[in-house]
Amino acid sequence: MTETRVTSQTRATRLRAGLKRRYAREGRFRLYGLLAIGVAVGFLLLLLGRIIEQGHTAFYTHSITVPVYMDPARIDRAYPQGTNFQLLVAEQQLARMGIADNSAGTKATALRSLFSSELKFAAAARIQSNPELIGQTVPITAPVSDEADLYFKHEISRDTPADQRRLSDEQIGWLDQMKTAGLVTAHFNSGLFNRGDSTEPELAGVLGAVVGSALMLLVTALIAIPLGVGAALYLEEFAPRGRITDLIEVNINNLAAVPSIIYGLLGLALFINWMHLPRASPLVGGLVLALMALPTIIIATRSSLKAVPPSIREAALAMGASRTQTVFQHTLPLAMPGVMTGAIISMAHALGETAPLLLIGMVSFIPGIPSAIGEPSGALPSLVYIWENASERAFHERTAAAILVLLAFMIVMNAAAIFLRRRFERRW
Amino acid sequence: MKFQIFRAQESDHGLKAPQDMPREPAPALAVPTASHRGGDPVGPTKIAARDVSVFYGAKQALHEVTLDIPDKTVTALIGPSGCGKSTFLRTMNRMNDTIPGCKVTGRIEMDDEDINDRSVDPVLLRARVGMVFQKPNPFPKSIFENVAYGPRIHGLAASKAELEGVVEASLKRAGLWEEVADRLHSPGTGLSGGQQQRLVIARAIAVEPEVILMDEPCSALDPIATAKIEELIDELRERYCIVIVTHSMAQAARVSQRTAFFHLGRLVETGDTEDIFTNPRERRTLDYITGRFG
Repeated sequence: MTETRVTSQTRATRLRAGLKRRYAREGRFRLYGLLAIGVAVGFLLLLLGRIIEQGHTAFYTHSITVPVYMDPARIDRAYPQGTNFQLLVAEQQLARMGIADNSAGTKATALRSLFSSELKFAAAARIQSNPELIGQTVPITAPVSDEADLYFKHEISRDTPADQRRLSDEQIGWLDQMKTAGLVTAHFNSGLFNRGDSTEPELAGVLGAVVGSALMLLVTALIAIPLGVGAALYLEEFAPRGRITDLIEVNINNLAAVPSIIYGLLGLALFINWMHLPRASPLVGGLVLALMALPTIIIATRSSLKAVPPSIREAALAMGASRTQTVFQHTLPLAMPGVMTGAIISMAHALGETAPLLLIGMVSFIPGIPSAIGEPSGALPSLVYIWENASERAFHERTAAAILVLLAFMIVMNAAAIFLRRRFERRW
Repeated sequence: MKFQIFRAQESDHGLKAPQDMPREPAPALAVPTASHRGGDPVGPTKIAARDVSVFYGAKQALHEVTLDIPDKTVTALIGPSGCGKSTFLRTMNRMNDTIPGCKVTGRIEMDDEDINDRSVDPVLLRARVGMVFQKPNPFPKSIFENVAYGPRIHGLAASKAELEGVVEASLKRAGLWEEVADRLHSPGTGLSGGQQQRLVIARAIAVEPEVILMDEPCSALDPIATAKIEELIDELRERYCIVIVTHSMAQAARVSQRTAFFHLGRLVETGDTEDIFTNPRERRTLDYITGRFG
């Protein structure tokens, strides 16, 4: 080895060249970062944009108001619900538009299909509340059928190939005529938010699923949060360190990674087949989701308990606080922001979970709005799944709208998480 | 000399009161105790440690320490890092109980009662033996709540007015009242390091303990804050038995009347601070205090 000598000038050039390389590397790294963020934001915007584009039309709808002559010859005073109001209205409307029906009455049937079945219920309800209306002409308002609604929203038109629409040219002509006559009004689709599911798209709403999801999450939160936080507290603060504790810890970490459909199977076997709890109910759904959320909550709580400075624990113990006092007066309050964040994020996860719901029957068609945790009910993600699979074209936009409602639900939950974390945050 | 005899008997007969026991010749103690030379008065023995060993798992951190700690006196524990002085300090309020795998053998008697006895509740013991840590560790609560915490959990104040009185008295005794009287309800963590340490001392004395343990209370503080704490320690000595672990020989010399020198988990020498610093009996003590190792 010979001793190498580098002149101060070469040294300076090398340093400068090296510096340039180092800056170039940093610049590249920043660029990659920006690219990654750009791609992520791009996909997010694409996703949201697509959903909003598809779903925004579901938030308004069209109703029709027609004067109905309550024909005493057709309406049974004792049983007004039995009357075929839709046909009655269609016939009267045809006559008003000056169209003569054929002997089989096919035109009236064709016009009738442009009204929602709600028309019948609305008219029957009027008669029931006031039988004196029989023989008079009463204006009745009801949604138009899903196909007619799509036509008014310009999603189908005369130019749509006939095999891709269920409206005939004649029906389209009648719709135009009624619209010109001022019978049709566009308005906010409040039915989407205050109705349960229905096979008729124009009458289908998300309320049943929202209530079902909320009840389910309530069950999940009431079971998973106290159990999870309690388990974490015991494991972290009280349990003797040893093989059994280690074993439990490893298993909890593994459980957090178990696919959710397995929890669905477990729920089916345990809660429905063995414990005979009501199938498709928010109770069973909540229990299954609680099992699923438990490991996440335990892990989040333990790590935030670990992050509490030991000096606070020592201070409390040295003051003569018992172990329980130390935990509940000092450690847990300081860990609370982390506990809250973990709990609410796992709740948000549980809200969007679909796979376990498939197995416990929550993807069935359930038209009502549940009023108790033991009643059959749907949930938002399973509603999205059902509507996406529905054949009616009008469910398309409603699927996107249901996704938007689900996202809004999640945003509300995350906002609550941030609010709670701020509230519980304390300096030390 | 009287109190030395008294001490010997006390250690001999454990929990029984020495007055009731037949007077026997005092056996020689393992601890060399220098006679006091006047100046600072030293009270009767408050805590007597006999053959105290501490194990962390298989590792022995403290080897058969026998030491008497007098009341109304500041006793300094000095020695290089890892010598076991903090470990010994923590045996006196059983804070070592909280460390998994830690085992303490030997006897530690406080007022003739074995503090490791099953009948002694560590929670009650810690109400009698307060502790101040190296890093100021006020609770993330208000100044008032910090000081009120001890009286509250031990149920010492019967009314709100009484509690307020205790808080005020403790803050005054800790020399902090003037500085915080107008912001008792602002967070304790917002104070300066030295103020926080005095707040922690106020918190400790609010439960009227008999002993105050201090684990390097000034090592995180600047010289001015240190001087204030040292002054405070000197005042507190009139009412409490104080044991202080310190890395600073100068501090030990300034605040303590008794000094114990630890090395490698053993008690090397103990005596009046003046003697230890001017006339140590052991070679290792001399080397340490003159800065030859440490």
